[in-house]
Amino acid sequence: MELQKFTYDNKLTKLFMLVTILWGVVGMLVGLTVAFELIFPGMSGEISWLSFGRLRPLHTNAVIFAFVGNGFFAAIYYSMPRLLKTPMFSKALGLIHFWGWQLIIVAAAISYPLGLTQGKEYAELIWPIDVLVVLIWVVFGLNMILTLVKRRVKHIYVAIWFYMATWVTIAVLYIVNNIQVPTSFLHSYPIYSGIQDALVQWWYGHNAVAFFLTTPVLGMMYYFIPKAANRPVYSYKLSIIHFWALIFLYIWAGPHHLLYSALPDWAQALGVVFSVMLIAPSWGGMINGLLTLRGAWDKVREDPVLKMFVVGVTAYGMSTFEGPMLSLKSVNALSHFTDWTIAHVHIGTLGWNSMMNFGMIYWMAPRLFKTKLWSVKLANTHFWIATLGMLFFSIPLYFAGFTQALMWKEFTAEGYLAYPNFLETVTQILPMYSLRAFGGSLYFIGALLFVVNIWKTMTAGKFARYEDDEAPAKPAAKPGEGWHRKLEGRPLQLTVAALVVILIGGIVEIVPMYLVKSNVPTISAVKPYTPLELEGRDIYIREGCYLCHSQMIRPFRSEVVRYGDYTKAGETVYDFPFQFGSKRTGPDLAREGVKSLPNYKPDSWHYTHLVDPQQLNPESIMPPHPWLAESELDVTNTPSKIDVMTYLGVPYPEGYADQAVADLQAQAAIIAQGLRDAGIEVEDNSEIIALIAYLQRLGTDVYKDK
Amino acid sequence: MAIENKNLHNEDYEYDTLTNERLIKDHDYDGIRELDNDLPPWWKWLFYLTIIFAVVYLIRLFVVHSDDLIQDREFANEMSGYEQEATAKGGSTATAFEVKLLTDDASLAAGKETFVKICAACHLVDGGGLVGPNMTDNYWIHGNTVEDLYNTSTNGVIEKGMLPYKDQLSDQKRLEVVSYILVKLQGTTPANPKAPQGIAY
Repeated sequence: MELQKFTYDNKLTKLFMLVTILWGVVGMLVGLTVAFELIFPGMSGEISWLSFGRLRPLHTNAVIFAFVGNGFFAAIYYSMPRLLKTPMFSKALGLIHFWGWQLIIVAAAISYPLGLTQGKEYAELIWPIDVLVVLIWVVFGLNMILTLVKRRVKHIYVAIWFYMATWVTIAVLYIVNNIQVPTSFLHSYPIYSGIQDALVQWWYGHNAVAFFLTTPVLGMMYYFIPKAANRPVYSYKLSIIHFWALIFLYIWAGPHHLLYSALPDWAQALGVVFSVMLIAPSWGGMINGLLTLRGAWDKVREDPVLKMFVVGVTAYGMSTFEGPMLSLKSVNALSHFTDWTIAHVHIGTLGWNSMMNFGMIYWMAPRLFKTKLWSVKLANTHFWIATLGMLFFSIPLYFAGFTQALMWKEFTAEGYLAYPNFLETVTQILPMYSLRAFGGSLYFIGALLFVVNIWKTMTAGKFARYEDDEAPAKPAAKPGEGWHRKLEGRPLQLTVAALVVILIGGIVEIVPMYLVKSNVPTISAVKPYTPLELEGRDIYIREGCYLCHSQMIRPFRSEVVRYGDYTKAGETVYDFPFQFGSKRTGPDLAREGVKSLPNYKPDSWHYTHLVDPQQLNPESIMPPHPWLAESELDVTNTPSKIDVMTYLGVPYPEGYADQAVADLQAQAAIIAQGLRDAGIEVEDNSEIIALIAYLQRLGTDVYKDK
Repeated sequence: MAIENKNLHNEDYEYDTLTNERLIKDHDYDGIRELDNDLPPWWKWLFYLTIIFAVVYLIRLFVVHSDDLIQDREFANEMSGYEQEATAKGGSTATAFEVKLLTDDASLAAGKETFVKICAACHLVDGGGLVGPNMTDNYWIHGNTVEDLYNTSTNGVIEKGMLPYKDQLSDQKRLEVVSYILVKLQGTTPANPKAPQGIAY
């Protein structure tokens, strides 16, 4: 057979590798900053763009989309040409992908601290950046598809199945979750509201974990573990079964983020059972990774690359067992809204994602730079520091999660909440937050050792941009292949099949939420927000309040006594986007405005608390937001916001947009006068007035009659 | 199952030298080979078990309508359980609670603890007041007797922002805290006292 000669271009791999390292350090540093902000709430001072609520989205997005994302792009640009025996189809498309993605990251890094956000977790990017994401994602996919078209091997390897499933699914998730109507160049409302928005968001959010943090990294695993260990993959059959089972089942699991919420029982049940059924398919990946190392365990002891991979894959196995357990209602009743969730995700990110990235780069950098790793010893030190850092990070947070959940639920013998003041349950776990910050610091130090090691490796070697290879032309399909083998020879059909498989779960769960009216029973007392409340709500979103405060009272005695009647689906219909939150670092706010409930506070309390929380509670870890009292509320877009709301079906009277600003000012004047009567100097048009108006509205509609 | 590869024959295999397991011959991707191992049986059984769990779970919801999977019923059951318990206990607590100033150290210490945890959010730890009025001066808006304070802490003055605490703090706890205010806080000098409100007594 005649061999054809061709050349790989390593430039894009190198570029993606470098930015993976860069954004990894940045993302972790921001994470460390917010971890310290929880211990020292005054840290951000008067600087709005350093506050917890604005930096936290930057941390999550940076580590997910910049660190893990660029990491698997590096993996794909390295492994795909070699697996297909052809260079990538287009250098130009590759460069557009690279620079476009970095532009998105920079835009995120600027817009989040400025408070420009959609207010949906891991989907905070504002709409112009969303458009850019979709365009760049198409460029990336086009380059992969055209590379597949001109490949020299007949069948595509399991790593590429995972890459293509990633691409097609992320496209669907991202587009559907981000359908929105702009009110200005920098702001928009999603077309979904309340419980429907929550379902779409967690269908997206959960599957961002599945198809951004899992499937592409499994693809990485399938290439780099056999390469680094020089061992065959344990089982081809297992690859097939766990691939299809994983992508089919994962899509359904989103509702487990909404257990005991106002989501209908049937949707919650689907979230539970599909999460439980995910254990085996997830572990299929772990087994195929770990058992591939049979016969190479002696190497694992010495080779930091394999060590990283082993801990990475093991952490994957741990968190994919824990995930289904957290999806059981009885466990979720305890774990949800606590730091248990934070501990869980960091086993996945610090263990699985980061270790896989570190391992891959330790393996790849010396090969790209035609040299040896600068220091194996330093890499081993990094391995141990990172492993310890991960444990110091997670174990205290597990403990914090249990402790706080139990304190929230505890009643005295007389039938009163044992800890009626939420703050007590926070003060109790603060030492755990300190230990977490220590663990995070260790992990970060490890990452710095990694940077030094890779830097020294790069400077010691010389970048080999081009690499020659040869292979025969693509053979024809052999007769009598099994159906899956045939599919492996038709990668575009395989991609379409993956698309069909992932669409099923989403359609079955989301469509009935819109078409079947009984899923969101109407409550006639629930009315649209006033223009001032709507502006206040947008400030609530801008400041990232939802990252620490939930608005979803669960149907438990302990929550109903603490916060008031549990939240109903019909109460959320005007919430574009929904603000259930996923974590209670502070108390739930769903009924903050109801005067007859224990959480109610007067306007003057809210004013003081927002500006300087520690003045009221020296132990509070709420960050101060003094700028809210100083900045003037911008009402230029209020009419267009009302218009968009009306377009989305919110029943404002006809032509209300023209009247909105006058109404807003009238309502603000009353609240401001009340504050001045209480001895607080404040302007009518201050932003804080709008936020107070919103907080005092929360949950009141259904309590009017009482 | 269809992926059981009927089309492979002995000549399609090679053997891995370390494990002596079958390698599939033409599966070679950039040097990566694949073994023809079966699914581990324990893994298969784990998968089957989770599927059985799912089927049973969905039957319990959609066919049996089990209370623990229907959220409203689960909540109603939880609440009625506690209500029954409360009515059962009701008889013994029916005796009238005597509102009388406490002066013993233990009660005052307990009162201070509650004050710091709950009341300080508006009246500050030293009682100097901020959102709520100053507790250290001799000016009172809603009366200055132990009964007045007890009543205010019990029912609140919601239009002024004072919450009712009857559902959050027991009778004894409320009495302890108002005693603490009257016995210990009155007459002290806070760091930043709020200007007097109400009538001087």
